[in-house]
Amino acid sequence: MKILTFEKLKSTQTLALDLAKKGEKPFTVVLAKEQTSGYGRKKNFWYSPRGGLYFSVVLPPLKIENLEILNILSVFLLAKILKENFKLEPMVKLPNDLYLNGKKIAGVIIENVIEGEKVKFSVMGIGLNTNIVEFPKDLKEKATSLKIELAKEVDNRKILKEILKTLKNLLKPLF
Amino acid sequence: MKFKLKIGEKEYEIEVLETERGTKVKVNEKEFLFEEKEELKEIFKAKVNLPKRDFGEKKILAPIAGEVVEVFVKEGDLVKEGEKLLLLSAMKMENEISSEIEGRVKKVLVQKGEKVKKDQILLVLE
Repeated sequence: MKILTFEKLKSTQTLALDLAKKGEKPFTVVLAKEQTSGYGRKKNFWYSPRGGLYFSVVLPPLKIENLEILNILSVFLLAKILKENFKLEPMVKLPNDLYLNGKKIAGVIIENVIEGEKVKFSVMGIGLNTNIVEFPKDLKEKATSLKIELAKEVDNRKILKEILKTLKNLLKPLF
Repeated sequence: MKFKLKIGEKEYEIEVLETERGTKVKVNEKEFLFEEKEELKEIFKAKVNLPKRDFGEKKILAPIAGEVVEVFVKEGDLVKEGEKLLLLSAMKMENEISSEIEGRVKKVLVQKGEKVKKDQILLVLE
């Protein structure tokens, strides 16, 4: 998998969508250490300071009837990784969010480009609050991070690789 | 009656002959005899009577049921192939509907916030 890494981006999702439109290959990953205009579903702002894990993956075209499963699959995949790697018990809030101890820890956004009756490609964006030390006042009661919950730093690169590997395996039967 | 038929890259020379025994069809020198003349007529009739397609306009249908989040074009706009036409929120995802063809927007039949059914006509291009 090709991983394009950036120190700072407005949004990994926006760039991945642009690249896919220009013909970037499936499973190309756009990763940013920081986002200034990260967004989730309905263009809701996603707080993305340094420390967190923010990336978007270009996905090959699925059949339209299989699209719905993407959301469900991606959130369950994140839950599985947190459970297996950190022995945490996250709660899946379908279709897009993952909570830990009542606070949001991760979110997924999926955007599809459809031409005629066919999906041209999809882009899956994931924001995972990994090493965020502190949240601003308005988010303090709503969001948490792995660092806050585990009281230790986690390896973003390792988590990313784990997510991508599992994602590819889970998606295989759908293409 | 002689004619050429091209299927993919392969070309066939076809000759239809009326004989006493029935209709003979020669395909690249191979002969096929059809003794039931009426049946053969029906086959040709079926081919000739295929419904006419209107290539003058292209209807953009909703590929899935959802809600129109944004319409990026207006009537009279020229659009290129691959250009985004509208955004449809469905299955908790945002779906950009883009144009398959280059053309002009003839009609916009939906507006922002409207709920649409699968296969509902969203736009007409020409």
